[in-house]
Amino acid sequence: MWIIRATTGTGEVIAGRIRDTMGVEILSNSGEAELIYKSDISLGAARALLALLLSGPCIATISCAQSSTAQPTPAKSAAASTTHARSAAPAKPVTSLGAPVKAYGSSNAPITMEVFSDYECPSCRNLFEGTLRQMIPDYVASGKVYLVHRDFPLPMHKYGYQAARWLNAAARVGEFQAVEGALYDNQNAWAMDGNIEKYVSGAMSAADFKRVQSQMQGCGYPGDPAVKPAAFALGAQTAQTCALDAYIDQDRALGNKIPVQATPTYVITYKGNRLPAGSGIVSWPILKQFFDSLLSQ
Amino acid sequence: MNALGSLLLWVTDHGYQVLLIGLVVVFCVREPGSRRKIVRVLLVLGGLVVGAIFLAAAYGKMKPPAGFAWSWPSSVRISLAWFSMQVESYHLLSPAASSALAHFLPFFELFLGLWLISSIGLRFSSLVASFTLCGFMIAIAMAYHRGLKIDCGCGIGPPEEVGPASLLRDGLKFLLPAVLVAIGAFWIHRSAVAAPLRESAPAAPEAV
Repeated sequence: MWIIRATTGTGEVIAGRIRDTMGVEILSNSGEAELIYKSDISLGAARALLALLLSGPCIATISCAQSSTAQPTPAKSAAASTTHARSAAPAKPVTSLGAPVKAYGSSNAPITMEVFSDYECPSCRNLFEGTLRQMIPDYVASGKVYLVHRDFPLPMHKYGYQAARWLNAAARVGEFQAVEGALYDNQNAWAMDGNIEKYVSGAMSAADFKRVQSQMQGCGYPGDPAVKPAAFALGAQTAQTCALDAYIDQDRALGNKIPVQATPTYVITYKGNRLPAGSGIVSWPILKQFFDSLLSQ
Repeated sequence: MNALGSLLLWVTDHGYQVLLIGLVVVFCVREPGSRRKIVRVLLVLGGLVVGAIFLAAAYGKMKPPAGFAWSWPSSVRISLAWFSMQVESYHLLSPAASSALAHFLPFFELFLGLWLISSIGLRFSSLVASFTLCGFMIAIAMAYHRGLKIDCGCGIGPPEEVGPASLLRDGLKFLLPAVLVAIGAFWIHRSAVAAPLRESAPAAPEAV
């Protein structure tokens, strides 16, 4: 079963469940919502449906009310459903921040590249600096590739998990791209002293940083920056106090299914066909050649 | 195509066992004429086994990824572009050289596999095969030595991280048959050349 998260331009999440190939059910409009669809529907079809949900006319009353509370942009905020749909979930208070969007480009791109990384991993930095930085203004900007970041912090890295928390907090306020660049650019510095906050704050406005900081409550901030959750360190399930850990663990669960054995690991999907996972650094000319071979199909 | 791939993989997996059994038989037979005959048969079998290894490797590199249909040249282009990424992951060559090697190697393996199966000039084809396999194993050993966690990209069998176990196994299954065939082919050639000389040479005078 595939799971897709969709966030509108305002950070609001539209959620729905496809009960069959015809019906759509809006479940909730809260930050944890998901669009779930059955495996007999292609990834592309589900994405197209999601796009329809995000841009279509507003029919469901509850969704409309929630949308107006969140003051969304008219084009993208209204949740729509087909005549088969019904509003199922009770109205929940709308959170201004949705699920973190850790991606570059359009989800409608024919190629999706998911990169499982640890922000403290030097090879991940090299892949980002040497390859992805060249790819983003080229193939991502032109709509050929959708680049998705997946958190896969490794226990061997002291501050990797904490960096992932900061990134998720930044992603929830729409600053993922700026902060990802800043953290990789300054990896050597914060990996020495754990002062991730310094580079996160430098990558965004003071107002946005305040919003990020507020999410880091209970996440080892402002105390010891080397906080590693017991669940992560010991591989055991314990009560988590940091809300952001759910996003990281979700990515790690995806990675464990592949399975990711080293970072960076990348998974390329072309029009719904998932290719075998690759790991390590790949140069942009070689990756570009591979994308070109896919696009020339 | 899948059936052919499965057959090649089966020969690749089990062919070395046939050759090792044959080797034991060769050492058990004392009569030189019979021994040569057995070696000749084993060389034909060995050529098939080592040829199958190279054909399987070429097939594995050229076959389309899961979800893609065979098509010429587009699916092969995708597979070779993917293989370029695996060659580059060894960190031995520049991107341009990795790409060039990735686009050359599968066709070379295809040619070498067919050459070995044909048994024409077997001592040369098996020698080339032995050196090629040595080169692969050195590259894998270097990658392991440098701590790279990579898939060997061999094209034979499922993706697997390189390590001492895979090196040992590859040495036994792939390199050993190729070396045995090369040694056997040169031995047969030498004995074939030496036999007429022995026959035409004057008999040594008997000691008084």
